[in-house]
Amino acid sequence: MPAARSLLFSPEALDAAIEDLAARMLARPPRCGGEAHALVGIHRRGVPLARRIATAMERLSGNPVPVGTLDITQHRDDLGTLEHLPPLLGSEIPFDIDGACVTLCDEVIFTGRSIRAALTELLDFGRPSQVRLAVLVDREGREFPVQPDFSAHRIEISPHQRVSVHFTETDGEDAVYVDTPPPAAP
Amino acid sequence: MTPRKDLLDIASLSDEEITFILDNAVPFKDLFRRSVKKVPTLKGRTMLTLFYEPSTRTRSSFEVAASRLSADVTHFDVEASSIVKGESVIDTIDTLEAMRIDYVVVRHKQSGIPNLIARNTRTSVINAGDGWHAHPTQALLDAFTLRERWPDLAGRRILIVGDIQHSRVARSTSHICRRLGMQVAYLAPGSLMPRETPPEIKIFGNWSDAWDWTPDVVYLLRVQSERLTEPFFPSAAEYHRHYGLTDDRLRILDQRALPLMHPGPVNRGVEITDAGMNYSRSLINDQVENGIAVRMSVLYSLRPEPL
Amino acid sequence: MKRLYRNAQIASEDEPSLRRADVLVEADRILGVESQIGAVDEAEVIDCEGRILLPALFDLHVHAREPGQEHKENIASCAAAAIRGGFTGFLMMPDTRPAIDNGGVVQTVLESARSTAIGRGIYTSGAITKGRRGEELAGIAGMKKAGAVLLTDEDAPVANPQVLRRAMEYARDFAMPVASHGEVPELSARGSMHEGSVSYALGLQGMPALSEEIGIARDIRIAEFTGVHLHLHHVSTARGMQTIQRAKERGIHVTCEVTPHHLMFHHEHVGDFDTSFKTQPPLRTPEDNERLLEGLINGTFEALVTDHSPHTEFEKNQDFATAPFGITGLETALCSLYDRLIHPGRLGWHHLVRCLSASPRRLLGLPAVPIQRGGIADFVVFHPEASTRFDAATMRSKAINTPFLDQTLRGAVERVIHHGVELISA
Repeated sequence: MPAARSLLFSPEALDAAIEDLAARMLARPPRCGGEAHALVGIHRRGVPLARRIATAMERLSGNPVPVGTLDITQHRDDLGTLEHLPPLLGSEIPFDIDGACVTLCDEVIFTGRSIRAALTELLDFGRPSQVRLAVLVDREGREFPVQPDFSAHRIEISPHQRVSVHFTETDGEDAVYVDTPPPAAP
Repeated sequence: MTPRKDLLDIASLSDEEITFILDNAVPFKDLFRRSVKKVPTLKGRTMLTLFYEPSTRTRSSFEVAASRLSADVTHFDVEASSIVKGESVIDTIDTLEAMRIDYVVVRHKQSGIPNLIARNTRTSVINAGDGWHAHPTQALLDAFTLRERWPDLAGRRILIVGDIQHSRVARSTSHICRRLGMQVAYLAPGSLMPRETPPEIKIFGNWSDAWDWTPDVVYLLRVQSERLTEPFFPSAAEYHRHYGLTDDRLRILDQRALPLMHPGPVNRGVEITDAGMNYSRSLINDQVENGIAVRMSVLYSLRPEPL
Repeated sequence: MKRLYRNAQIASEDEPSLRRADVLVEADRILGVESQIGAVDEAEVIDCEGRILLPALFDLHVHAREPGQEHKENIASCAAAAIRGGFTGFLMMPDTRPAIDNGGVVQTVLESARSTAIGRGIYTSGAITKGRRGEELAGIAGMKKAGAVLLTDEDAPVANPQVLRRAMEYARDFAMPVASHGEVPELSARGSMHEGSVSYALGLQGMPALSEEIGIARDIRIAEFTGVHLHLHHVSTARGMQTIQRAKERGIHVTCEVTPHHLMFHHEHVGDFDTSFKTQPPLRTPEDNERLLEGLINGTFEALVTDHSPHTEFEKNQDFATAPFGITGLETALCSLYDRLIHPGRLGWHHLVRCLSASPRRLLGLPAVPIQRGGIADFVVFHPEASTRFDAATMRSKAINTPFLDQTLRGAVERVIHHGVELISA
């Protein structure tokens, strides 16, 4: 039986949410001063998100916004028990991270574990002066003390439900859904 | 990919596994350019090197690879301990089992020892060279080095020169090259050429025929004349003249702009002329650096059986 | 006390088809073999519907390991294994520790054999040279007197042709066959399997077919020169066999044997360094399997032998090069030959009776044991529809180094009758 699925963001709503995130980020310049915004997307869907926010920021500000990527596979605390080993996509930070102000981008924050892993991975590249966090959906249920600085939508759903973010680049369409799995057989 | 328990030879790897290991080695190599050259992948795991045959290079390559994955590394000094007391390999394995080692890297002069160990332990076994049989991590690092040069290896020609009969490198590297679509040829004196090699491999007895075949890369093997118990060729000097990479042959290599590979350590004046060591298209140092990244990738793709 | 084996299928070396008959046994003799025997007073009746009666088997090549290596096997455990496999007699090889190279050791091993249930069926060979070292002649006259029936240095073939020549010249006058394992030691040195594509892939030192081919040719030439009866042990190569065929055509007194494993297995079975396929001579190629089977059928081979070579599990669980050569065969021979060759129709029962019972006995000057009126009651009741599983718990040999370990094969030995006594009863 297929999961029940309800639409959270239409393609248009997703565009608007990204535009809004970009504007708010520009409105709060990084502490290190200047226009030195730099984004780092977390594989996989944090990467298209970061690229789209960067494009919007460039359009709004006229300044280039460099984008890096982070693969947090090797920081996962469940790596030793996964049935399938994920391929490594690698992290790529095409700018000097020492002293930089970096905004991590991820599609959803839930427990905070991925962000914890991303911070560890990021710090292996150097010592940024400030790290902020931007997410599309802030889902209630933190297990670590990590909070987003920017989020487009806040949601509280039951533990068995799931937020599915789709980007054309990774999934062939732009949309955000809330999926509810079928009730367990009695 | 489903993690496998052991890496014993290339033949037992699927195409998917070969690609997985080679692809993942790329981000591992990128790691070496960071200020922190370490990831927490194998934190809390222990890798042990069990070398019944000394090899500082291979051993340290594994040790660096493991420590960059945050594994604890320990070395079982075989010569100084059990082997002199007549302890069998199986007894040693029981000891390792009791130590709760996760990965054991084995080198032995007898073919098949890593297979024997793997059958008798839950530990992941990595073959770091057994007899004339296999040297899979060397083959993987060779393939990785070749792929850096040519992203698509299909149709490329590799000429492997030297003691084919007694070389585990020739067996494993030729195997992976063929799996990646390359054409392979062997060049060796008849007395060092196995009688039955896989039919797809071209066999040459002299350089002139081998040059005519127009190889894309030349891979020299170490000639271990000190280990040969029978008279396979009259002298090292004669070997060099007829089968080695002499100054003249080095010039041809240079004219054709062909890369040169060698698993190390090099026997100067036997398989390769002194000048060959400074050859600008030599990939020997790349092979060493890539060895660490590939061994990290191998460790990443293996998983011991649960306790 | 009489026993009547009713409704049996009788196998003989003379006819390809089985003959349906009743067999009446009293004491150690077969009283009658008739298509139907009426009621017999006071006879135990054994219904053999669907069963095959075979003349009891005889193995011309067995390593019983006694004296000196009783941790692998001894004559008692070897005899138990033999009976389980349908053998009521075998010939022991002299590669014991010490070697069977003088009358004293021959006497000792034969005494040990006498205390088994098939005591009268166990024979021994003696070494050609002292300690099988290929240097000085062993005590040939003394061994003959004590009961040795064949001379061989087995897997340590006499390398020096001059020594072999003298040994053959000497042995000729004692009317004992001289047996040889055709091999040039220098060509096979340090090898652990057939030299070919598999030894290349596994990185193991090979033993070329050439070594056996030259060894056989040389030994035949010396035998022809000296006039001795030469018997060639476990031939493994097609070309070696062809050399023997040509010698036979020239009238040279030469006989030869082949093992079941050289008919069924080849070097690719070594697979991933599986030491239960490590044997000497090594398993060759599928082509050799085919040619050797032809040789068995066309009569080139007088004997099928198991080359029963027990080793401990610990010894076999080493790396391939270090593990000892040899696999066991007494218990598995009949079922494996039935399962792999007779059942698929590649070999007839008459071939099996000839090569695994009649002809090996004749080769040693012993009478064959056909199932016929007035003959010795020495036969096996074999059930082709049943099956047998070979595992450590049920095998009688001390050793389990067989490729058939933990496998189930077609056929089962239900009864073994030796001199009228049922050693195994269903």
